[in-house]
Amino acid sequence: MSKKEIDHELLNWEWEIKPETSWWNLNFKELVSYKDLILQLARKEFLGLYQQTLLGPFWALLQPLLTVITYVIVFNRVIGISTGSVPPFLFNLIGITLWNLFSEMFLQTSKTFSLNVEIFSKVYFPRIIVAISTLWLQLILFSIQLLLLFATYLYFSIIGDLHFDISRIFLIFPIIVITTGIGFGGGLIFSVLTAKYRDLTALIQLIIRLLMFVCPIFYTLSMVPENMQWLVIINPLSSLFEYFRFAFLGTGTLNTFLLMYSAVFMVIIGCFGIMLFNKMSDKLIDIL
Amino acid sequence: MSDIVIQAENISKMYQLGSIGSGSLRRDMQYWWEREILKRENPNQYINGSNKIDNADMIWALKNVNFELKQGEALGIIGSNGAGKSTLLKVISRIIKPTEGIVRGRGRISSLLEVGTGFHPELTGRENIFISGLILGMKKTEIFAKFDEIVDFSGVEAFIDTPVKRYSSGMYVRLAFAVAAHLEPDILIVDEVLAVGDADFQKKCLGKMNDATSKSGRTVIFVSHNLQAVNNLCTKALWLDKGSIRSKGNTKTVINDYLNTLHKKGWVKKYPTLNEAPGNDFIRVMYVELIAGLKDPNDVVDIRTPLTVKFRFYNASDNIVLSTDLLLFTLAGECIFDIPSKPASYKKGIIEGECKIPGNFLNDGSYYFTLYFAKDTSSELFSYEECLMFDIADYRDSINWYDKWWGYVRPDFPLLLNPVENDLKNL
Repeated sequence: MSKKEIDHELLNWEWEIKPETSWWNLNFKELVSYKDLILQLARKEFLGLYQQTLLGPFWALLQPLLTVITYVIVFNRVIGISTGSVPPFLFNLIGITLWNLFSEMFLQTSKTFSLNVEIFSKVYFPRIIVAISTLWLQLILFSIQLLLLFATYLYFSIIGDLHFDISRIFLIFPIIVITTGIGFGGGLIFSVLTAKYRDLTALIQLIIRLLMFVCPIFYTLSMVPENMQWLVIINPLSSLFEYFRFAFLGTGTLNTFLLMYSAVFMVIIGCFGIMLFNKMSDKLIDIL
Repeated sequence: MSDIVIQAENISKMYQLGSIGSGSLRRDMQYWWEREILKRENPNQYINGSNKIDNADMIWALKNVNFELKQGEALGIIGSNGAGKSTLLKVISRIIKPTEGIVRGRGRISSLLEVGTGFHPELTGRENIFISGLILGMKKTEIFAKFDEIVDFSGVEAFIDTPVKRYSSGMYVRLAFAVAAHLEPDILIVDEVLAVGDADFQKKCLGKMNDATSKSGRTVIFVSHNLQAVNNLCTKALWLDKGSIRSKGNTKTVINDYLNTLHKKGWVKKYPTLNEAPGNDFIRVMYVELIAGLKDPNDVVDIRTPLTVKFRFYNASDNIVLSTDLLLFTLAGECIFDIPSKPASYKKGIIEGECKIPGNFLNDGSYYFTLYFAKDTSSELFSYEECLMFDIADYRDSINWYDKWWGYVRPDFPLLLNPVENDLKNL
């Protein structure tokens, strides 16, 4: 065997298993080759969610509906928060729909390791596949809720005097992307952390519950007293809610700078989440 | 020559014993602070004086393991429990990363140890075939193409649209195995240790292995405690001992090496003085030995090997009618035979005995001898229980049957079959 042939042979390996994992080893070609698996895993979770249930996928609608009704009673009727000319039902539904996207994305992604130890310890595929399929599933569930929101919106714009503007509506897409990115990135980070430190699972619940109150979901940014506004503004999710509401209602505190802040935050947390997940996923198998 | 499909170079895997990181964020942060910021060499001794991480806390589950396999070769990995066999398989199948070393390869790897991985109890058999197949690395088109075959193989056609949580455990395993069995990887990994199924299932596993190697010329890596199966199915073997390779190469040689350390051949008990020797006022057993009739001392005592028992005892009584029985028991305590000597009159003094057990008589397994001494044929003088314990290894020549051979004895009496030329109507 000549030297040339040996070199050729060394190059001919299809895969290598090495001790070190780089921060950036996302192999997009490999991920694409697993696209069937991504879809099938999302499908499995979706079907699994609603097997042997009375209402099936309607649960995806029932949850926001009941939440909205509770919010309307508590915040608008009891406490007396005014939503102006906007029907309280629609007002709250807009906020809750976006909030559900974020909170579910964050929560479900953070369970990537804890729910899949069994599979991860038995078979290899890029671990991020599972997180990506969760992402898809959550987007599907979100789009069901979005349909409910559109139906409600149309209903109120027919019977009421809501000003419907088709051009504004397209604003929701960048908002959805940014919200998804922050939820996904944060979820990835916490999936690694909770795999290592079990007690952080409780922290996630707490984060979600507390974060909800500093997001303008059932109130608007303009209702917050000037001296308290910083508290809501430092939350990168806040401006997303304002823009999302603006897309439907045409009112809200719009600030391009704050939107940029949210977008940059998303890029940072998204990249960091993916990097950390990649770096740690091999090591975590040893200690899970 | 570039048909090497998998090559492992100096694979090592280290595990940390005890509570890893103890799940405490504070301790990990301190560790990081000490090491990265203060640049101390062994931070743990500053953090927690009594809890230093030294070498005693580390265990090398694998140490410098090398091997390579060519297309179509079958490698058997043998070794006692905890030798690192499963760890090695996990490294090869990319589930865990090695601490050191590198594995290079070509083609798709699948393992038969992941039976039922990814099954969702709420979903139907049909859905689960797709999910499990995709997780195990099949392409969607492949699953479509083989779907009917898989269902057929599993034998659960009637229940294919029923959620698998309603399946009996047998049906569940059959369906799961059917999916795994239709994988067509370039490198197939079979871990029999983890294949916890009934005998039938194990047999299917081995049958599948056999097909893979002999029919489709696939590369196979096989871990098993069933040395007979390794012997018949594998072209090469690797013996792992405490994470390192003790021996590798030709299957027969490696298995012999392995068995030789497991089964000692010098079964002997010898007592220099009468007082130390087991016995009583009548009898003292001074020496017992089991000698294996092996042509090559490096061979293993298997069912073909003739055995000789030799013993010597002191008889303290003058002019008595004495007889000795040699009894053989299985480990479970079932007596296989009781061979008496002819009762005869002996004077006080040392008496020697010998008994030959031919080859092709005992089945494989673990046995022990008992020596029994009697006066006037029936009154017991002394019984030396469990005086020698020994193992006999299995040996099968080109027989594709790997279950435990039945029976306590395994004589090779000829059993002949002759076709009879006869008209069935005239029966």
